[in-house]
Amino acid sequence: MHIAGMGIVFNRGRGLANLEKALIEGWIMPNPVYQVSTEVVTDKQVLKETRRADHFTKMATLAAFDALADSGIPEQSKQKLGIILATALGPHVTTFNFLDDVLTYGDSGVSPTLFSHSVHNAVTSYIALNLQTRGPTLTMTQFANSFHQALILAECWLKEKRCEYILVGSVDQTGKVMEYICSQKLNIATDGKIKPFNLSKTPECVPAEGSAFFLVTDNLKYNKYCALSALPQSIQTETDLCILDSDGMCGNEEPYRKINSYRMTSYAPIFGSLLTLSSFSCLAGAWMLKNQKLYASPVKDNPHNLNILTKTEPFLIHKIKCLRYNCYQEELAIHLRKGEA
Amino acid sequence: MPSSDIAITGLGAISACGNNVSETLLNFSSGKRNGGKVTLFKTELDYPVFQAKIDFPQSANTMRSLSLATTAASEAITDAGFTNGFGKLRIGICLGTTVASQLNDTDFYQQYRTQKTAPMNSVDRYLKSNLAQALGEFLKIRPHFCTTIVNACSSGTDAIGVGLCWLNQDYCDLVIAGGADELNRVPLDGFGALSVVSKTLCAPFDLNRTGLNLGEGAGIIILEKSATARNRGKNPELFLKSYGLAADAYHLTAPRPDGSGLEQALEQAFEKAKILPKDIAFVNAHGTATKDNDLVEGKVLARVFGPKLKFLSTKGFTGHTLGAAGGLEAVFSCLGLREGWIPASAGFLNMDPEIGIAPVKQKTQINGNYAISTSLAFGGNNAALVISKHPALI
Repeated sequence: MHIAGMGIVFNRGRGLANLEKALIEGWIMPNPVYQVSTEVVTDKQVLKETRRADHFTKMATLAAFDALADSGIPEQSKQKLGIILATALGPHVTTFNFLDDVLTYGDSGVSPTLFSHSVHNAVTSYIALNLQTRGPTLTMTQFANSFHQALILAECWLKEKRCEYILVGSVDQTGKVMEYICSQKLNIATDGKIKPFNLSKTPECVPAEGSAFFLVTDNLKYNKYCALSALPQSIQTETDLCILDSDGMCGNEEPYRKINSYRMTSYAPIFGSLLTLSSFSCLAGAWMLKNQKLYASPVKDNPHNLNILTKTEPFLIHKIKCLRYNCYQEELAIHLRKGEA
Repeated sequence: MPSSDIAITGLGAISACGNNVSETLLNFSSGKRNGGKVTLFKTELDYPVFQAKIDFPQSANTMRSLSLATTAASEAITDAGFTNGFGKLRIGICLGTTVASQLNDTDFYQQYRTQKTAPMNSVDRYLKSNLAQALGEFLKIRPHFCTTIVNACSSGTDAIGVGLCWLNQDYCDLVIAGGADELNRVPLDGFGALSVVSKTLCAPFDLNRTGLNLGEGAGIIILEKSATARNRGKNPELFLKSYGLAADAYHLTAPRPDGSGLEQALEQAFEKAKILPKDIAFVNAHGTATKDNDLVEGKVLARVFGPKLKFLSTKGFTGHTLGAAGGLEAVFSCLGLREGWIPASAGFLNMDPEIGIAPVKQKTQINGNYAISTSLAFGGNNAALVISKHPALI
C-alpha cells in the first residue's frame, strides 16, 4: 500500500514542517518528559466538533485531519475511507480523572462525560464525526506491536476492498500517574537523553506522547511518499537504512546489535519513548524517502561504533526498514520503499 | 479465498447464563435468568447485574477478564478437537474487550492519590492482561497476528471480523477470536451516570424497558479454513460468511437516530455473504434494553427484514457484557443454527409500537441456514456477522 498523506502531533509541534525542523535541529532536552503543549492542540476550526474531548483525542484528531488534508484525495473519497487507530495505553489520564470522581463523589456522583471519553475508541468516533466519514472504524491496543497490527489490518482492508483509503495511525499520552508507573517499571534517563545506540540490556527511556497518522491507499496515483508494509512475509533483506525503535521502553536492546552491518539511525531522541514509536519512525522514514535526504542521528553517543548517520545531507534512498525489537525480543519491521509497492 | 471457506469449528462461552456452552443451552431452554446483586466489588449502586458464577484463584495476579477469556478459549479449543497444541498451523488471536484495556483499579489509584506512591501489583496485573497477548502466553504461542480490539460494545464482533479478514487473506490457518469482559465498578458507575442502567432485570425491545443491566463473560470461537479442518478430520458444520462494519459519525454515546450506520453494516454483510435479508433465519440483536438502542436497532430490523423476522436479544440472560457481547452472541448465533432453536428473548413482554416488531417470546424453532449477529457501540460503531450452517445445503 502507499502513503498518500501524513500528519503528526508531537513534542516539537504539529505538522510536517515541524517534523523537518526537528530533524534538522536534532535533540533538545525534554522538560522533563516529551509532552505536547495545550497550545499545539488548540485549533478552533478543526476541533469544532471536539471541544469537549480530552488531550488524547485532540492530538489524534489533528494528526488524522492533517494526514487527510496532506493527501489531496478528492472530497467524495471520504465515503470510501476507513479509520484504524493503534494505542498501547489508551486515554489513561481521563480514566484517572474518572477515578478521581469515583473516589471524591462516590459511585453515583461521577461525570458521564469523563466516562464516555475514557473508552479507547472515543478518538476514532471523534475523527469520524469531525471528517463526517461513515466507513469502518476500529481501535486496537497492544503493548508489544500495536502499530504494526494496525498496518497489517489496513493492508487487509484494502486488499478485500472494504475501503479505498484508510487513515491509520497511533496515539499515546503521558500523565503524572503513568510517569510514576514508568519510574517504577523502567529506567528513566536522568539526563533526559535517550541514547538509542547504547543498545544495552538495561536501556534508559524518557516517556513521551503524540500522534502520527497516515492516509494509505492501494492506488499508486496517490503515492506521495512511498509504499509500505508491515507484513512478516514482506521482509526485505536489503535496505539502504535502518531506523531503530531503541527508545528504552521494551527492556533489553542488545538484539539490535545483530544488524550492525547496516547504515542506521534512530529518531527516538526527537519523538521520545513510547510503545507506539514505530509510527513516528515510519513517518520520519517516509519523509526521508520523499525528500531523498538523510537526517543526522539526533544523539551521537555510539559506544559500539555502529554505522550511524552523522550528517544531514541529500542522498539517493530507495528502501528503509523501521526496526523494532518488542518486549518479547521479537523482530518487527515496517518496510518503506520509494515508488511502487 | 471465498468467505464460505472459513469454518467455525469450536465454541466456548462463559457468562451468568452458564460456565460453558452446555450450561448456557440448559438455561436458554428453561428461560432461567441469573441476574442479582454484584458481589465482586463494593458499590453504593443498587443495580442488578449478571455475574458469572465462577471464582478464579487470586494467585495468578491476572485480571478477571483474562481468566474469563482463557476459560472460554479452552472450551472452544477443546471443542475444535485440539488436545495437544496446534502443530504447524499459523495461528492468529484477536479478542475484544473494554475493561481489560484500562488501568482502572480504584485501590491502586486511591493509594497513589493520597501517597503519590503505590504498589505495582495492579499495574503488573494490567500489563499481563492485554487479552490477545495474554491468551497467546497462556497457550504458549506467539502469533504473528495478534491484537486486542477496543471498539467498546462491538469489540467482540469486530475481533471476529478481523479474524475473518486475516483468514481470507491467507495470513493465518486458524484464528482464536471473540471477546471477554469482567464486571467492574468503573463501567457500572459510568453507565449509571449516563442514566441507562435499569433498577430491575432488563427487558430488551419491550415497551416498558428501562435500561440495561451490566454483565460479564467471554465468548470465543475457533475460525479456520475449511480445508485445514478437513485435513485434520473435522467436518465443519458452521461457517463465518461475512462481516460488515460502518460508523455513525454522529455522537459519542447515542446511536444515529435514522439507524443508517447499522443498515450500512448489514448491507455490507449481505453483499459480502452474497445473500439477501430474506435468507436470514434469525437475528441475534444487540438489544441492550436502553430506550435509544432498541428503538434505533428495532426500527432498522423492521425496515430491513420485515415484520415476520425472528429475532431476539440474549442480554436478558447475560446482561450487557460490553467487549464480550459480540463474542458471546456469535457463539449463541452458532448455537441457534446448530440446535435448530433460539430461546425466548428474556424480559420481553409487550411490543413497542414505535419499533413495530417484536422479538420471540418463547423458545422458537429455526428453519434456515443463515443467522446475523449485530453489535452497536459507543462511538457509533455498527457491526454485523453473517453465520451459516451446512454449505452443501446452501
